[in-house]
Amino acid sequence: MRASSPYRANLLGLAFMTPAMVLLLGFFFLPVVLTSVFAFTNMSTATGISGGSYVVTGNLLRSLTDEGLDAKTIDALGQSSYVIDQAGLEKARAAGVDAKFIAEIAERLKDRSFTSSSAFERELKTLPSRPTRIRDLKIAAGAFEQSVLNVRYASRGEMEAALSHMLENPPEGAIEKIATASYTGWTWTTDNFKNLAIAPDTWRIIGNTVFYVVLTLAFNVFVGLFLAITTFYLPPAGSGFFSVLWLLPRITPVVLYAVMWKWFTWEDGFVFNIAQDLGLPAFNYMKGSVASAWTVVILVNGFVGASFGMILFSGALKAILVQQLWASEVDGASRWQQIRYIILPQMRWPILFVTSYQTLSLLSSYEQIWLTTNGGPGSTTTIWALEAFKTALNNYTGNLQYGLGAAMALVLVAVGLVLSIVYLRLFRFDEMMSKPKIEF
Amino acid sequence: MTVLPRFKSAILATALLASTATFAMAKDVTISVWAGGTGPTNDYRIEAIKMAADVVERQAKIRGEDLTIKIEGQTWTGWDDFKQAVTLAAESGKAPNIIVSGHEDIGPWSQSGLLRPIEDYVDFDAWPLNQLYPNLIDVSSYDGRIWGIPQDAEARPFFFSKSHLKAIGYSDADIEALPAKVESGEYTLYSMLDDARKMQDAKVVDPGKGFMPRPNNGTDYWQFYQSFGGEMIDAESGKLVLDRQALTGMYQFFVDAVEKGVVPATYLGTTWDTWHQAVAGDKAGIWHGGTWHKAEWEAKWGLKDFFGQMQYSLIPAGNEKGRANTITHPLVYLLSTGGSDEDATLAAELITTASEPYINALHAVKSGHLAIGSAEASIPFYANDRWTSAATEGLLPKANAIPNNSDFGVVWKAMYKGLEASWTKTNSVADAVKAVETEVRNALGDKIVIR
Repeated sequence: MRASSPYRANLLGLAFMTPAMVLLLGFFFLPVVLTSVFAFTNMSTATGISGGSYVVTGNLLRSLTDEGLDAKTIDALGQSSYVIDQAGLEKARAAGVDAKFIAEIAERLKDRSFTSSSAFERELKTLPSRPTRIRDLKIAAGAFEQSVLNVRYASRGEMEAALSHMLENPPEGAIEKIATASYTGWTWTTDNFKNLAIAPDTWRIIGNTVFYVVLTLAFNVFVGLFLAITTFYLPPAGSGFFSVLWLLPRITPVVLYAVMWKWFTWEDGFVFNIAQDLGLPAFNYMKGSVASAWTVVILVNGFVGASFGMILFSGALKAILVQQLWASEVDGASRWQQIRYIILPQMRWPILFVTSYQTLSLLSSYEQIWLTTNGGPGSTTTIWALEAFKTALNNYTGNLQYGLGAAMALVLVAVGLVLSIVYLRLFRFDEMMSKPKIEF
Repeated sequence: MTVLPRFKSAILATALLASTATFAMAKDVTISVWAGGTGPTNDYRIEAIKMAADVVERQAKIRGEDLTIKIEGQTWTGWDDFKQAVTLAAESGKAPNIIVSGHEDIGPWSQSGLLRPIEDYVDFDAWPLNQLYPNLIDVSSYDGRIWGIPQDAEARPFFFSKSHLKAIGYSDADIEALPAKVESGEYTLYSMLDDARKMQDAKVVDPGKGFMPRPNNGTDYWQFYQSFGGEMIDAESGKLVLDRQALTGMYQFFVDAVEKGVVPATYLGTTWDTWHQAVAGDKAGIWHGGTWHKAEWEAKWGLKDFFGQMQYSLIPAGNEKGRANTITHPLVYLLSTGGSDEDATLAAELITTASEPYINALHAVKSGHLAIGSAEASIPFYANDRWTSAATEGLLPKANAIPNNSDFGVVWKAMYKGLEASWTKTNSVADAVKAVETEVRNALGDKIVIR
C-alpha cells in the first residue's frame, strides 16, 4: 500500500475548509474590517458614506470669516452674478438650450449682467421663445451664472480651478484652505474614541450592559442546567414534553415573542389583571418602573438563552455513561451527590461553551430590548449594543452617526475577543482539546 | 409586377413609422413618494401627488402628449424607521423621487447631496407657489437656497380638560380667559402643575395623570426649553445655541412635576395608545400635543365634542426669562437626487400642482394641519372649519420652527437623552445638563455657542 502524500492530504483539508473560510471571511472578518474603517471616520447622515463633493455655502463663508479669512476674498466668494457673454452662450448651447431662445438671449441681452437669479429669470420670461417648462428656463439661466456659491463640484481639482477663476490675487494658501473646508464628505478621525472615553453617559451604559449580561447569563446557565438535569431524571415522555415547552421562546419569531411579552406585561395584560385582582400595584410592568423593566428584559432574553443551554446540556448528559450513575447508586449516592460528583465534572465543556457563546451573543444582542422596553423607561435599560444601533442606524432625529456607532461596535468586538481568550484560559480549553493520553 | 410590392412596402414602412411615432409619444413614468410620520388621517400627503398626476396627465393630453404617471407611495407612521430607510436607500442609489419629511432634515440631507434644490425646478413667482407663507418658505430653505416646498404647517398647543378645570373651581369665564393668561405669562408651567395636582387631589383624574406630556421624543420638548428662555440658534451668527440655564429650568420643571406626583418618573416611553386613550377619553387633566391630534381623537379615539371638552393655549412660560410659545414643524416635499433630471422635473411639477390651495386644503382639514398659503386660508372649505381657522389665527402667528442646520440632530439627541436621564432620576439635573454640554461640545466644537 502506497502512503499518501502529506501535501495532498493538506490540499484536501484546505478544500474542506474553504466553505467555512469563505463564510468566516464574508460574515466575520469583512464586517469587522468595515466596522474598524468606519470607526475611524466622522461619517454621518450629513457626510454620507460614499464620499462627498466640494461646495461653498453661506454657512461656510461665515465659518471661514470666523477663521480669519480676509473680507475681500469672502466678499468675492459670496458674489453671484449672471453675465450674458460669449462663454455663457456656448455653455447654454452645450446644455441643450433651444437655439432660437439662445439667439434671442444673444440679441437682446448680450453684455448685460444681473445680480440675482430671479431678476435674470424674470427678464428671460419676457423673451418670445422662452421655454414652457420652468426647468428649461432655469437650465438656460444657469449657463450664465458666474459664481462658486452653492455650486457642487465633484472633485477638489474642479473646485480649485473655479476658485482660481473667481478670485483675483487670493492670499497665499487661501484656495487650498477654502477647498479643504468646502468638502462635504467624511474625514479620518480618532475623535469617536476620545468622545466615548469622556462622555459621562458611557459609564452608565457600560454599567447597564454588565448588569444585563451577568444576570441574563446566570439565568441562562443555571436555568438551562436545572432544566437539563431535571428532565434527565424524568421519564422520557415527560422530559420530551417539558423540553418542547421550554423551546418555545427560542423557536418563536422574535417579533411575535416580543408582542407576547407585551400582552403579558402591559396595561390590561395578563400580569396586570392578576395583580389587580390580588390588590397588588397594577401598571405597565414593561415600562412602568425601572426594576420591573429590568426584570422583563432579563427574563425575555433569559428564557431564550435557557432553552439554548437546555438543549446543549441535555445532549451532553446523554453522553455520560449511565453505568457510572448505576454504580454510584449501588454505592448509595444521593441525586445531589450524583450531580455534584459525576454529572457536573463531565459538563465542563458544554458549560464553557454556553457561557462564552451566550456572553458574546448577549453583549451584541439588542433586538429583544429594542422591541420590548426600547431601552426605557427613559434610557434606564439601554445597553451598549442598543445604543450603538441607535447611534448608527435608528434614531428619532434621523441623525445617523455611522462613525461613532461603528466605534461603539468596535469596542464590543474588542471586548468579545478579550473575553473569549479569558474564557478559553479559565476553562483550560487546550487541555480539553489535547489528545487523549490513552490510545483507543 | 414590381409596382405593387413597392406600393406595399411603402405602406408597410409608413405604418411602421407611424407606430414608432405613437410609441415615441407614449410615455410612462413612475414617480415614487415616501412619507414619514404619516397615519390614516394624513393620507393626502401622497393622495395629493396622485391628484396632481391626474391633472398633469390631462394637461399633457391637451398638449397632444400621451403621458402616464404612476405614483408609488409608501408611508411610515414613525420617524426612526422612515429616516433610516431614506438615508440608506439614498446611499445605495435607490432614493425615492419625492420625500415628505420634517424640514430639519434639509440641513444634513442637502450637505450629503441627497437632495436637489427645488428652487432649480419650480417657479416661486408663479401660482400656486407665489401665495405660500414667506415664513414657511424660510423654513424650507437652508444656506441661502430653497430646498423644499412646505406640505403642511401646525402648532403644538397645550390642552386642558374643561370638566376637570371646573372640578377645581374654574368658572366658564375663567376657562375662556385662560389662553390669554398663558400668553401674557401670568399663568406659568408651575401654575399648571398646581392645577394638575389639584385635579388629582379632587380625585377627578387618577394619580400620575394630572399632566400627560408627549410620551416620547419630539419637537415638542424644545417648546419647554423656550418656555425657560432658551434659544436654538443665534440670529446674528447663525450658529446653534445651547442655553444651559434654560435647559436646567426645563429639566428641573419635569423633575418638579414628578415630585409633585402629577407625572410618573417612568413616564417617557409610555405608548401613544395609552396617551390618546387618556386624553381623548377625558381621563387626563392637562397635556400638550399637536393641532392634528384633534382629527386623530375624533377618527379613532371617540372624541365627540372637542370644543366642549377641551381648552387650548400656547405652551405656558416657565419663568420670567421665558415666554409662552408653540413650535410649528412643517413637513416639506423634497426632491431627491435619485432618478434622472427629467424625472425630477416631473416630480417638481407634481409637487407644485399638489400645492394648489384646493388640493392642499384637503390634507389640512382632514388631518387638522394648517394652511401653507394665504389663498388656501381663504378657501371656504378651510376657512369654515372652526379648528383650522382658530389655530391659523390664534396659534400659527406665534409659532416658530426648529432650525435647519446639519448639526442640530446632535444637539437634539443630547437634549432628549439628558431629559430622560433627569426625568427618570438616573442623573441629577445639574449632571444631565453637564452631560449634554460635554456631548455637544465634543461633537461640534465651536460650531455651537454654549451660554
